[in-house]
Amino acid sequence: MLIPHPLLGLRDSQEFTYLGDASLMNRPDPAGPSAEAEFCDYVFLRDNPAGVHRELWFHEQGDRSWLVVTRNTLTHEILGAELARNLPARGAE
Amino acid sequence: MTDLIPLTALGATELRSERFGALTIAEDDSYGLASLTLRKGQSAPTPFGLTLPEAGFATQSGSTSAIWTGPDQWLILGEGKGQTDFAAEVLAQAPQASVTEQTEGLVCFDIRSDVEVLPIAALMSKLVNLPPENYATGRATRTGLEHMTVFLYQRDERHLSILGMRSYAGSLWHALVTAAARLAQAA
Repeated sequence: MLIPHPLLGLRDSQEFTYLGDASLMNRPDPAGPSAEAEFCDYVFLRDNPAGVHRELWFHEQGDRSWLVVTRNTLTHEILGAELARNLPARGAE
Repeated sequence: MTDLIPLTALGATELRSERFGALTIAEDDSYGLASLTLRKGQSAPTPFGLTLPEAGFATQSGSTSAIWTGPDQWLILGEGKGQTDFAAEVLAQAPQASVTEQTEGLVCFDIRSDVEVLPIAALMSKLVNLPPENYATGRATRTGLEHMTVFLYQRDERHLSILGMRSYAGSLWHALVTAAARLAQAA
């Protein structure tokens, strides 16, 4: 599997480490009034659709940047990759 | 006073070098190494007159070169500076940036070819999964080689430098010479 790195082009997926769903970037505000319930969802609940996922991948044996990779789990097609640092901290869907 | 004998990364008193057909693989300890990272919002300095390279490339100015290692991060190589405080020199050139000494944290193996780029590309195609354009002069990248992280720096058509972690210099050397010996045998 090749991941289209936005800076370095197509790279072997073995160079990357998978962290989890990109929704992890939307960490709830710990000082908010419903923080406990929101963190319960954040830590334990994930959507797991058969189809398009947005995932966090770390280019460990590369430039050490975090990518948000859009991947279809039905077809294994990779639809795109962008640098996580270019996305707003709480703006990833 | 105790007599201390300096050892190379491969544990010997002499630098190792082996030849396989048109290829020579040699250990090189002459480089001073330092990483240079910009703080948030800083613009890139020009240490030693170097224009710091873009993603996937390296630049050279005299005996100093720079490899892009990540966004706003570079590895600076100073030829002949292996026994000096190279990080202090880099920091003096880029006082606003974060500079960390890397000399002897990494080991450098040079692959030289008697002929054009082909033998180097043939050897590396056995070892790493990179497209062939990465073996053009002035390209540099980090990748995985038998699960070890390495920097590849194509200095010219007949010279590729591989920098790997010194702690596994023996394993890296073994991977390189095994592949080179098999290629030489098959030729």
